[in-house]
Amino acid sequence: MSETNYAGGTGNGGKLPEELKDTVTLTNLDMMVEAMSKIVDPIANWARSNSVWPLTFGTSCCAIEMMSVGMSAFDISRFGSEVFRATPRQADMIITAGTITRKMAPALITLYEQLPEPKYVMAMGACTITGGMFNDSYSVVQGVDRIIPVDVYLPGCPPRPEGILDALLKLQQKIRTESYVERRKRRYAQTAVRYVDYDSGLVIDPVRATVEQAIDDMEEAMNNRSEF
Amino acid sequence: MTEPAAPKPAEQPKELPAGQFGQFLKDLGIGSKRLADSCGVETIEVAAADMEVALKRLKNSSETGLNLLITVSGLDSPESFDSVYHLWSYTDPEKELVVKVSLGKATIPEGKLPYVTSITPFWAAANWHERETYDLMGIRYIGHPYLRRILNPWDWEGHPLRRDYKQLIDALNDKNPQSFR
Repeated sequence: MSETNYAGGTGNGGKLPEELKDTVTLTNLDMMVEAMSKIVDPIANWARSNSVWPLTFGTSCCAIEMMSVGMSAFDISRFGSEVFRATPRQADMIITAGTITRKMAPALITLYEQLPEPKYVMAMGACTITGGMFNDSYSVVQGVDRIIPVDVYLPGCPPRPEGILDALLKLQQKIRTESYVERRKRRYAQTAVRYVDYDSGLVIDPVRATVEQAIDDMEEAMNNRSEF
Repeated sequence: MTEPAAPKPAEQPKELPAGQFGQFLKDLGIGSKRLADSCGVETIEVAAADMEVALKRLKNSSETGLNLLITVSGLDSPESFDSVYHLWSYTDPEKELVVKVSLGKATIPEGKLPYVTSITPFWAAANWHERETYDLMGIRYIGHPYLRRILNPWDWEGHPLRRDYKQLIDALNDKNPQSFR
């Protein structure tokens, strides 16, 4: 299935394999979108970056700081993010405020997948970046980037509310510089890890496997290389 | 001039004299063994078969009045699994007792969990504590109304706070493949 998915058009440079000429018709809709995006993106990105609505998601003490930043003392609404939505369908961003345990991980993946594209993740606090003080614990996911892609890392235990504002500004910079078409190309890389072999507990992820294979090949090539 | 080292205090006798609650149980015909006090609190060990009756008596008697169950916990000793009950009294805060039930590892069949009678039927406070002890330490409480994992996911394998627990190494945590914790 994934091999014949040329309708995206962008990954293959618009070329169609010979054997599919009879059955597949490429439209130039994608090319039009690509051309339009040069005009539309700056405006759309400006609008989106100033209305990043976070999801109400807090699992630990970081959530206290997240609440604090929503209140009037720090006032995240100055940056357009005051609307904490209670459903992922209406949110643009998850602030993973708190430790993610193995029990919570499936729920977080579901929430991430329910977010409409474009979606962003801010990994807030030491626990969600590396596991933090639950380093090598049996029950804690050692970094939320092991299950969902992360846009901004915000270290601290917990970070100050000013830190959240700073991370939000960084995220806004990122949103302003990105392009819709470029983002669509990375669509697979943006998906959450979701295939887990329940017998071994290992993640079945073809992309990750390919990357690891490439790294292995590179290392082998380096080892086989004759001396300088 | 240095004083010669003071002689070491004599080792405690093997049989400690029965404390207040040990004597109370003895008068009722329930045998118990006094252990070293834990933080100044009388600590006794009772046989698994006597535990239910002993705790009922300690709870309901006006003489003892230990009507508050603080916690039920588990202990993985080299020789045994222990189920530990901390009792306290609302009416007399001076009264406190630790009851241990020792389940020898040698008596547990291969692949089976140690078990002890549940006190949840007459002491509802034990409900979640026993579930937690079952979850993390793997002690089954016979007669518990809903003995299911309470902290870990339902399909968790093993009991994490045991000494022989092998930590899962997978994509969520492969930091230390040599970890034996």
